[in-house]
Amino acid sequence: MSNALEVAANAVRELRPGELVIDASATALPGLADRAISGLDARLMSLFASDEREVAGRFFLHHVWSLPQLKRFLRVIAPIDPAEPSFPSISAKHPAANWFEREVMDLFGLVPTGHPNPARVVLHDDWPERAWALRKDFPAQGAVARVPGDYHPFRPVTGEGVFQVPVGPVHAGIIEPGHFRFGVAGEPVLYLQMRLFYVHKGTEKRFEHLPWRHGVFLAESISGDTVVGHALAFAHAVERLATVTVPPRAQALRTVLLELERIYNHTADIGAVATDVAFTVPASRAQALREGLLRIQDRLFGTRLLRGTIALGGVRHDLTSQGRQVLSAHLRVFATEFDALIALLIDAGTFTDRVDGTGILTHQAARDLGVVGLAARASGVDADLRRDHPHDGYAGVRFEVPVEDGGDVRARLMVRAREVEQSLLILHQVLDAMPDSAIAASMPERLPALASALGWAEAWRGPCTHWVATDTRGEIARVKVTDPSFLNWPGVIQAVPGNIIPDFPVINKSFNLSYSGNDR
Amino acid sequence: MLGIIAKSLGTGVLTEADPFGGRASFGFPVVDFSRCTACGECAQSCPSGAIQAATPTEGCKTLSLSYAACIQCRACVTACPEKAIGVSDGVEVAAYTREQLAQTASFTVDPETGRATFSQDAVHHGPGLAESAFRLRDRIRGRLGRSLHVRQVDAGSCNGCELEIAATANPLYDLERFGIHLVASPRHADVLLVTGPVTRNMEIALRRTYDAAPEPRVVVAVGTCGCSGGIFGEGTYAAIGGVDRVLPVDVYIPGCPPRPQAILNGLLVAMGVREARILPSREQ
Ligand code: SF4
Ligand code: SF4
Repeated sequence: MSNALEVAANAVRELRPGELVIDASATALPGLADRAISGLDARLMSLFASDEREVAGRFFLHHVWSLPQLKRFLRVIAPIDPAEPSFPSISAKHPAANWFEREVMDLFGLVPTGHPNPARVVLHDDWPERAWALRKDFPAQGAVARVPGDYHPFRPVTGEGVFQVPVGPVHAGIIEPGHFRFGVAGEPVLYLQMRLFYVHKGTEKRFEHLPWRHGVFLAESISGDTVVGHALAFAHAVERLATVTVPPRAQALRTVLLELERIYNHTADIGAVATDVAFTVPASRAQALREGLLRIQDRLFGTRLLRGTIALGGVRHDLTSQGRQVLSAHLRVFATEFDALIALLIDAGTFTDRVDGTGILTHQAARDLGVVGLAARASGVDADLRRDHPHDGYAGVRFEVPVEDGGDVRARLMVRAREVEQSLLILHQVLDAMPDSAIAASMPERLPALASALGWAEAWRGPCTHWVATDTRGEIARVKVTDPSFLNWPGVIQAVPGNIIPDFPVINKSFNLSYSGNDR
Repeated sequence: MLGIIAKSLGTGVLTEADPFGGRASFGFPVVDFSRCTACGECAQSCPSGAIQAATPTEGCKTLSLSYAACIQCRACVTACPEKAIGVSDGVEVAAYTREQLAQTASFTVDPETGRATFSQDAVHHGPGLAESAFRLRDRIRGRLGRSLHVRQVDAGSCNGCELEIAATANPLYDLERFGIHLVASPRHADVLLVTGPVTRNMEIALRRTYDAAPEPRVVVAVGTCGCSGGIFGEGTYAAIGGVDRVLPVDVYIPGCPPRPQAILNGLLVAMGVREARILPSREQ
């Protein structure tokens, strides 16, 4: 392993294939983070805590990094003494950690020392102090009293002609709730502040109270547009825990499902951007194309949004050779229509006028904020777990990772368009050479006790990661869910200033982040 | 420009004449109680607590199933050793109460063999529903009385329900032809279409949205979460549960998420509820 890390760490262990672990002291965390980033081009994937006071007498803090050069994840674990519930923050140097560390503070009562803005992020103003919901001694059931409070002061506006525009949480369209505050001078936006977590459902706590076999159904409901992505990330973690190998045909089918999810979402988003600039013909074409995909999914897998397709150990439905032909034929027609849709958009000056140079997220900002997935690739960050940490059938297929440099609405649109092309390429490869095997491996009766594993998948929006840990009975002790939206919302905050308010919907749509995935 | 015109003309009309024509490939589980032995395997397999097995008294077992809580995962279908669970393919699943979506069967247990036999079915088929389905057909045949303005409120959903609500407006379903419009403000709304589980952090915004809508407002709970809290449960530290824990609900549309046709059907039922409220005499 690289020298960059050996220095401070006692030992780097390969806990499971592709997953390195370093046990460190809390004080060593910032130094290790610096070295991982500078020496190994590490990218922060997740940062969270676990309450292991019952079994180990301690909390633990976990930093999870992607090390693309080594094709491995690195989890740095540090114990936190309950008598001194704090840990050193890395947010001042590595802003990607900002919300993560504040979430740990809100839900575990562990304080990130040296955090530049240690304000609440998950908890709204009317949550009482010391309501640390993810601590084991906090009851899952039972309402939490509302108390008066003011923990989210919005930045005051000063200056002549400068004012604030509040929007939400209930919006005008059919979208999820969130509150935005624009500081504006006339039309141009000076800054954007947001308050999220309106749809915080206590999902991570809920996992701890479901039998582990049922967790996959909860994972499907983390973000309704990323059913396969989250179900796979959860299933991967559980399968790695149980050291179960997923049969080749199941891996191939999982690849098919994940790419279908990517295509239908990308198509919908391209249409949504057209809707937001009032370009109705392509918008309605995109909706019809998407509906066609959902119907073929319904026909082949019995589910429009691919719910219930992923099983622990494999998949729940096979695809007959006739089904494969039906799908291939549908995708061929889709490809032609999709090309026509893109041509319609980029040939229209009225459209490109609205998207070119709008909502720019610079490469530097994307790197510093740790933005992931398609939003990162549209800002020139070349990262994709399907290639960098291959899962399911991806090691065996040829595909490219499209990257654009513009960082604007157009770049995010073009990354989607080019990814759809690649998805079609992947789908045809997989459908033409479907291995023969069972579609699921059997899972053991119980999971190993006091063990943990990381699961990941590059879903359409970006990486979904789940860290699953078991208790003494082999039931779930903790699931940390990271949706790409959580890493990308700060990117939206950066991309909006300098644009005018009427461009906000189209910028927001071009990211299309999940509120539910973010808030859980 | 020419390309756009050519595309529009070339595409033609996509809207389907009968949106209720397509059958659901998986609606809800249907238990054939005559084959059921009340072994409870289905209840064990059910991730959302939609099936509950109980032994209320010695010699008696019950099995209850609630579509309000069912996430349509089909785990019960495969779990049943007697192959007593099939599936329905209907999309007209809206109900006026949570209870209408539930059924309970009782079994007597033979003390000798321990074998349970089905003794009594307590299936509540909502009496209003057949009638409203009939009325809906009328409406679809073009006798639409009035239009309906709908404000959607996401009070905690995973966004799956929003995807299907948005789909009702796509060119294939085109809900506007039924006189149903999705509007931007609760002040313009006849109906609030609420998804859930209602979270603690959305409760106040939901109440305010309700207060902002003019009477006679109709509340439609959409999705398993909106009907019962679904997989997220009820009364947790973060999720209050079904919409009826916070607001009076007039129509329930179960499903995770409900299909576009089921949502359309529920909205047409809501239209009936609203009419009944405006013109009580005519409805008698
Ligand atoms: S289909 Fe419904 S009733 Fe059956 S196991 Fe799934 S949630 Fe429970
Ligand atoms: S009912 Fe299903 S699709 Fe709808 S919000 Fe709940 S989990 Fe999501």
